[in-house]
Amino acid sequence: MALHTVEFDIKLNTGTITIDVPTHTGVVGSSDMEVLMEPKDLEGGVSVRIVTPVTGFDDLWKRVLDKFVNETALSDTRIEINDNNATPAVVLLRLRQAFSQATTD
Amino acid sequence: MAQMSNDDTRKKRNQRAADTAARLEAAAPLFGAGKEVSSDNTVALLEAVIRAGDIVNIEGNNQKQADFLAESLNKVDRSKIHDLHMVQSAVPLASHLDLFENGIAKKLDFAFGGPQAGRVAKFISEGKLQLGAIHTYLELFGRYFLDLTPRVSLICAFKADRKGNLYTGFNTEDTPTIVEATKFRQGIVIAQVNEIVDELPRVDIPGDWIDAVIQSPKPFFVEPLFTRDPGLITDNQILLAMLCLKGIYAEYGVTSMNHGIGFLTSAIELLLPTYGEELGLKGKICTHMILNPHPTMIPAIETDWVDTIHCFGGELGMEDYVASRPDVFFIGPDGTLRSNRAFAQTAGHYALDMFIGGTLQIDKYGNSSTATASRVAGFGGAPNMGCDAKGRRHSTGAWLQCGQELPSLDQQLGTMPRGKRLVVQGVETFGEGRQPVFVDKLDAWKLAENANLDLPPVMIYGDDLTHIVTEEGVAYLNRCPDLDSRMAAIRAVAGYTDIGLQAKPEETKRLREANIVKTPDDLGVDPSRATRAMLAAKSVKDLVTWSNGLYNPPSRFRNW
Amino acid sequence: MSKWNDLQEHSFLESNARDRALGIVDDGTFTELAGPFDRLSSPHLELLGDAVAFDDGLVSGVGRIGKTPVFVVSQEGRFIGGSIGEVGGAKMANTIKLAIDFHDKLVADYPDLSEEEKPVLVISFETGGVRLHESNAGLLAHAEVMDLFQKARGKVPVISLIGSKVGCFGGMGFVAAATDVIIMSEFGRLGLTGPEVIEQEMGKEEFDSSDRALVFRTTGGRHKYIIGDANFLVADTIAAFREKVAELAPLPVAAFEEMRRVGSPETVERQVRGVALAAEMHPQDARDVWAKAGNDDPASLTDMPLAAFLGQVKRLSV
Repeated sequence: MALHTVEFDIKLNTGTITIDVPTHTGVVGSSDMEVLMEPKDLEGGVSVRIVTPVTGFDDLWKRVLDKFVNETALSDTRIEINDNNATPAVVLLRLRQAFSQATTD
Repeated sequence: MAQMSNDDTRKKRNQRAADTAARLEAAAPLFGAGKEVSSDNTVALLEAVIRAGDIVNIEGNNQKQADFLAESLNKVDRSKIHDLHMVQSAVPLASHLDLFENGIAKKLDFAFGGPQAGRVAKFISEGKLQLGAIHTYLELFGRYFLDLTPRVSLICAFKADRKGNLYTGFNTEDTPTIVEATKFRQGIVIAQVNEIVDELPRVDIPGDWIDAVIQSPKPFFVEPLFTRDPGLITDNQILLAMLCLKGIYAEYGVTSMNHGIGFLTSAIELLLPTYGEELGLKGKICTHMILNPHPTMIPAIETDWVDTIHCFGGELGMEDYVASRPDVFFIGPDGTLRSNRAFAQTAGHYALDMFIGGTLQIDKYGNSSTATASRVAGFGGAPNMGCDAKGRRHSTGAWLQCGQELPSLDQQLGTMPRGKRLVVQGVETFGEGRQPVFVDKLDAWKLAENANLDLPPVMIYGDDLTHIVTEEGVAYLNRCPDLDSRMAAIRAVAGYTDIGLQAKPEETKRLREANIVKTPDDLGVDPSRATRAMLAAKSVKDLVTWSNGLYNPPSRFRNW
Repeated sequence: MSKWNDLQEHSFLESNARDRALGIVDDGTFTELAGPFDRLSSPHLELLGDAVAFDDGLVSGVGRIGKTPVFVVSQEGRFIGGSIGEVGGAKMANTIKLAIDFHDKLVADYPDLSEEEKPVLVISFETGGVRLHESNAGLLAHAEVMDLFQKARGKVPVISLIGSKVGCFGGMGFVAAATDVIIMSEFGRLGLTGPEVIEQEMGKEEFDSSDRALVFRTTGGRHKYIIGDANFLVADTIAAFREKVAELAPLPVAAFEEMRRVGSPETVERQVRGVALAAEMHPQDARDVWAKAGNDDPASLTDMPLAAFLGQVKRLSV
């Protein structure tokens, strides 16, 4: 059984915020994850790739990422996640930390 | 009219005393000096004083355990001693359940299963164990004085003198309750002690209530159940703690409370000197607590947050620290703590303004339970504190405010004002292994089926629960006019669980406008500040430093 | 306040590998090599269906302290216990190789270079050794690193930092022992066989791995400092480790040779005397050794504040 990859694009018409610098946040500890966020021209959209040992949560990932992109109005960004069974609360926390790092550095 | 006479021929009402005397007479050859019985004679003593079918208590507390007597009871001749009815608050030791496996005990009435919860469930389904009921501590203590009075109690103490006086000290816990119930209905009380001395630091239990004293080969087992390593507190728990402090402690000015055993409440304790201070809450919250001596309380005590703490039991390693703070803790004339579970639970049930704890599952109505389908874990003390004590008559600000916010109060009492206990569950929406905490139906239902229970074991009923705190925010269930609105408020903070996904944005918006739901943003809590830097102590070593070297953590918590 | 400034007072124990690497060198000087954006994840873990990391749990790079170029390797214990697999191992070995090559080029191009302008290598250990999922590659990396240490010797001083949660065990315990100097905090642990494995092989009576106080007084920083396996014991902040590294970095390479615990006829003789002492003493507990070193109240050494400990502790000399 190989690792499971989830990929999707999020396109909100409200997305206006772009990040300034590529950023890396988090450690792939137990129940934790790391995320890379990079500016990328995606016609206002956000593309996401998640690599995780856990299957069966594809919809959940989509919902959590939708919420994050929605609340930050993020656009033109590539997000890559290595996950090790993080809960949605941890996922949102790490994404917000990464966002704050990418927009204030 | 019958003539009164001194020659009373009515049925004798002193048979228990006579029976006790006969049993002790049979044991007489086993006694050494005074009430001392050698540990080698323990099994013989138990065989002499226990009869088949007796109600027996083995002191199984939350913390200290009469472990030697429990093991000895497993060695009695089961052709003579069988079908015992065990009544005891906790059954955490393997030997407690071995009694059922060995055919010595048949029936169990208890409050807390701990590590043996799986075996309790298994034995029930295999017919080895007949369950009386799962109680709360106070409820079971009450029945000791009603219909479950032990015939023989096997208790434990730190020290005894030769007259049988006992020193139970720091870990007094259930002992006074068990001994009083047993002895004053002519029962037999046998104590295992760590040492027999000429003079005790103080007398916790008078010697004439004790029949036999045995120095056990090893000191009794005590579990450091309430020690939480600050090093393991997560950022999300800190976020929840900030929400609790701002959204509940400050909102209601809660001065008296009990904290459950989890990491969230440890985080709250460690945020008092930092975030609590920043919010200007010192003196306004957390002044009176019913708590075991949590090591994570040390920084708050050292920064003068707390007036008093009364304890259910002790906590390993906290002896010297607690003894050095007699203004805060309940210390005897000898200078050491006396805990007492019955009194602490009484305070917890009637006098506290708030209970805050965690749980494994909350259903869509707000009922919560830590039961899983294959474990009869029991309740311990949480339900005594995690409910509204209807007999309460004194008023405090927090209690009154919580009650006055109930929109439905006038449906029951007309214009009569009344308060309500704050009962708070703080949970992350998903627990370990991404298990949702919010569920449609509690696993307790499956357990009730598997273990033939009359009721699903519910820790806190939905109508007692007043607040839920998750990473999504605070749900003020006490502000909901009806069950539909409560269910909507629960959905609104249930995050990405199936329950949470049923929340409708416009409904959540209305609940926020009505102050029934508050998000971190609504409360002015910035999640990016929720990091371990907020903690007043980040490690067990920091706690030792805060205590000025008086806290002596058990070996398993030492990383230096 | 910059992130670097924030990091200085952070607990070294709590800091992740990247923050330790960033904070140990001067503000703004750290350049990560083969970092997360290069996405060098373990191909083995992926096949096994286990979580992967963009840096394979090891941070490598180069920075500066004062005038000294500092090559840095920093292991991440939260990712599979800081274990060394193929990618992380290669990153570690190549960082050392880079430091040696850099040194050689530097002294060739600038013969008048002062000692403090020559590079050092710092390794922040947090590992149990070989990653079992890719054990051959992991073992090979251990051997490569040991080999490179020999090549670095007399050129690039190697400084070990041990103060992270996992400690430094397994093959990496050997690796750390082979470096020139070891700086520990009291929360660091150094050993070969991990406590759980000792218990498994020798029984609970011999070594109860759940007795953490026992584990720490047998493998922890205070003990290692007393018996001389660690050269320095510092407080648990990134700043404290950094100050010690900054103090050592400008020293001539000969000074590092003197701090070594193994690798010369003299050190071998000292080790043999240590073994003989152990055989003669049959210590039942680390405290017996502390008493032998001349500490009258060994039990008090465990909880004593660090400054007091450093002020009064007597170290074993054999």
